[in-house]
Amino acid sequence: MTERPCADNAVRTALSAHDPSWRGAARVPRGLRIALLLAPALTVVVVLFGGGLAQALAQSLGYQPFLPARPLGLDAYRALWADPAVRASVGLTLRIAVLATAAAAVLGVGAALLVRSLGRSRTAFAALLQVTLPLPHIVAALAMVLLLAQSGALSRVATAAGFVDAPAAFPALTQDGFGWGIIASYVWKEAPFVGVVVLAVLSSGVAELEDAARALGAGAWQRFRHVVAPVIAPAVGATSVLVFAFTVGSYEVPFLLGRPFPATLPVVAYQRFRDPDLAARAPAMAIAVVTAVLVGLCALAYLALADRLRGVRVGEVAR
Amino acid sequence: MSPPGSSVALAVRGLRIAYRPGHPVVDGVDLTVAAGTLTALLGPSGCGKTTLLKAVAGLLAPDAGEIHIGSGSVLGVPAERRPVGLVFQKPLLFGHLTIGDNVAFGLRMRGLARRVRRARAAQMLELVGLPELARRRVGELSGGQEQRVALARALVLDPQVLLLDEPFSQLDADLRGRMRELLRTIQRELAITTVFVTHDQAEAVEVADTIALMLDGRIEAHGPPAAFYTHPATLRAARFFGGTNEIPGTLTDTAFDCGLGRLLVGAGGRDGPGVLVVRPEALRLRVRAAAPGAPANTVAATVLGVRFRGTHQSVRARLPGGGTVTATVPPALRVEIGDEAAVQLPPAACHVLPTEPHPPGARAPATDPTIESERSHA
Amino acid sequence: MRRAVGSGLLAVGLLAPLVPLLLWAVAGEFRYPALLPELSGRGVRLVLDPAVRDALLTSLGIASAVAALAVVLGATAGRALGLYTFRGKRLVQFLLLAPAIVPTLAVTLGIQIFFIRYGLADSVTGVVVVQLIPTVPYVSLVMAAAFAGLDVDAEDAARVLGAGPVRRLLLVTVPAVRPGLVVAALFAFLISWSEYILTLLIGGGTVRTLPLLLFAAIGSADLPAAAALSLVIALPPLVLVALTSRLLTGRTPAVVGFGRL
Repeated sequence: MTERPCADNAVRTALSAHDPSWRGAARVPRGLRIALLLAPALTVVVVLFGGGLAQALAQSLGYQPFLPARPLGLDAYRALWADPAVRASVGLTLRIAVLATAAAAVLGVGAALLVRSLGRSRTAFAALLQVTLPLPHIVAALAMVLLLAQSGALSRVATAAGFVDAPAAFPALTQDGFGWGIIASYVWKEAPFVGVVVLAVLSSGVAELEDAARALGAGAWQRFRHVVAPVIAPAVGATSVLVFAFTVGSYEVPFLLGRPFPATLPVVAYQRFRDPDLAARAPAMAIAVVTAVLVGLCALAYLALADRLRGVRVGEVAR
Repeated sequence: MSPPGSSVALAVRGLRIAYRPGHPVVDGVDLTVAAGTLTALLGPSGCGKTTLLKAVAGLLAPDAGEIHIGSGSVLGVPAERRPVGLVFQKPLLFGHLTIGDNVAFGLRMRGLARRVRRARAAQMLELVGLPELARRRVGELSGGQEQRVALARALVLDPQVLLLDEPFSQLDADLRGRMRELLRTIQRELAITTVFVTHDQAEAVEVADTIALMLDGRIEAHGPPAAFYTHPATLRAARFFGGTNEIPGTLTDTAFDCGLGRLLVGAGGRDGPGVLVVRPEALRLRVRAAAPGAPANTVAATVLGVRFRGTHQSVRARLPGGGTVTATVPPALRVEIGDEAAVQLPPAACHVLPTEPHPPGARAPATDPTIESERSHA
Repeated sequence: MRRAVGSGLLAVGLLAPLVPLLLWAVAGEFRYPALLPELSGRGVRLVLDPAVRDALLTSLGIASAVAALAVVLGATAGRALGLYTFRGKRLVQFLLLAPAIVPTLAVTLGIQIFFIRYGLADSVTGVVVVQLIPTVPYVSLVMAAAFAGLDVDAEDAARVLGAGPVRRLLLVTVPAVRPGLVVAALFAFLISWSEYILTLLIGGGTVRTLPLLLFAAIGSADLPAAAALSLVIALPPLVLVALTSRLLTGRTPAVVGFGRL
């Protein structure tokens, strides 16, 4: 073994300043460097996002910026609680969000499993699955209006086939009280979203786990239940949280596809916000806060649940 | 080569599997494995060993041929119901289950009660030397431990045939040795018919009762490990094990005419043109001129090169007529480049094998009358 | 057989809703119960209208500005998250995830009055600033993944060879994380491009982007115009995603961005 030359140490010193654990020539200390790196993004988050949320909360309690101080209280929340329109709105929002999320999850997983089982046409369908993803939701909403309205494309096809004879005979899927059109619009975009993510997870090593399970006697359903489902569960869960959050907070789609009353929470919040009477400001903020809390609780619930379920990444398993 | 009186646990006949039409990966394989023995399926990467294994396990459907496990054919029986256990290169443990649940997985698929499953799983973990790990999670184990769990998981169903696809190739070298020992012990204790796929010659020789050498989708030779050294079945088999000396010539009964004159060889070769193969460790090399009265098959040679290999020395010597041979000599023997030496090719160690037909497109053989195998494994 | 039916249904489900949109874009008269419209170039002529052209330029300008700014502001945090471990890292990750979960509308309602007060309302600048809220954290998370795969030794090697910090950045770091940068910029662009309510709230109707025009067209029940505008809005995202599809494998956190569009 030859001896290492002393030049090694000089190189080490020159390099040391980069690696955070080594001391070196005069450089920015590690903690400060990390803080500086984080600063721009965190400033945006804290000032704009955090500030916005804090302001929404404050204004919901009655605070009015740039105006003389007023006593704060939960009046706005009490008013909301008593308002049947708002309660209906909460129910509608949750119903739409839960149904859309569930449908997107089920259809997305189904689509992913289907595409995975295809042979030669697999790449084509994997690409097709991504077609609706980049479309803005407003475009999707319009497409759904044109498709599902009582005078829309589906209705016309039904008429041509003889199932209905007038627009009014076709079920009301848009501007309806249940929210079918809204759900359809969400699902059209979000199911492929879930599908694409799940397909990616499925494509990285699940096949060999299934082979191992087959050699151990697992039939098709058993393989899905014991091997595939646990592997895709984290992906499905995470995407579902995102879908739920989006569907609760979306404004454009329910505005275009829903009725003025009952409307979803974001629509109601915006309506009240535009009310020239400043007294409507606090309830509008309260609705916004309620929306944020709703979504936040769901996300926290998922995090807590995910830990307990111990989802697993295929990369860790197939070692 | 099953010992008389034993039953055949696995028989493959005429198996053909092609991923693309016209390019079979498994090209007419006949293989018989006697019950309770360990057969190593040895071959270079890409020769079809893994494909063959998967077909036996039922994960692939063959295009032609038969597979019998025990007394019955298993063609058409899906993988889930074949009485085989399979251990892959990667442990492929189920990450969301504990170690104990992993081992008991097959039992759970069969619907056995939890208490029974747990007891059996504990038994198996004990067998592979991991008795206390039933409650641990997959991420907490080392690579070697995981493979042992995979082995236990395959064995828990008491399969008729155990198939292993290069199970230790991803482990560190020293760990591999220990795992081979463990496998051997378990295999003997359970007397379970085992097929062990590997590309490592030394591993096959160490572990197997018989070796089935697979080249280009066919079984080239099948026999006990020693036979591959002392009496290889074909020239390609001899070349696979590497380092063999080859001398082309013509055989008549036990007399072989070649560039070195007439050599005496062992019985059993086919008359006609062929190649004499003899292993380096069988040659006897002395550093002195050939003396009269020397034993049969002694030729004069000039030393071209000497390599020290720790346990022995490898000596290359030029023969009269221009060819070379490699001989193995003890590490302490003094031999230098340029020495005149006498090399004896013991007749019993010399076998004449038919020349292989050259595949189309291969290079023509060198004009050098003797050729030395290039590959040296182990 | 089941697979053929399934894939057929999948294709129909994905593509069918686009058909009425395309038909309406080239429609003149298209009343119920007609299955096909009378063709008219009105929709096409409409998108060549100067108002649409202005909105297109506004949308392009805002989206580009948002993409560039978001990348500049968010990438450094991505470096910190990808290369270092530090106390409070989980908290930072949580803070950066929050804007992806909490509806931005709720947040914007709260600060809109401050935008008015500080003169940012009714201006492109204000719209750009408010659109940083959903985009900057997203960029940070994507870049965190990109930086996690960065080989720091390459920068060190450049340093020992005499490259100063700027050259290291341009010649070593940026090329190494370029795929992440492209994806992050792409999604920031797309999020901004699709945005309606934030633009309306802060821009006050003065800043007219394509989504605002689309809403107006729908509101006035001018369906051919709306459909034609939708195609204009939909085209750049489809083209951009198609061009960068190689970079968008589902396993990177990048694809999460699709959930917001």
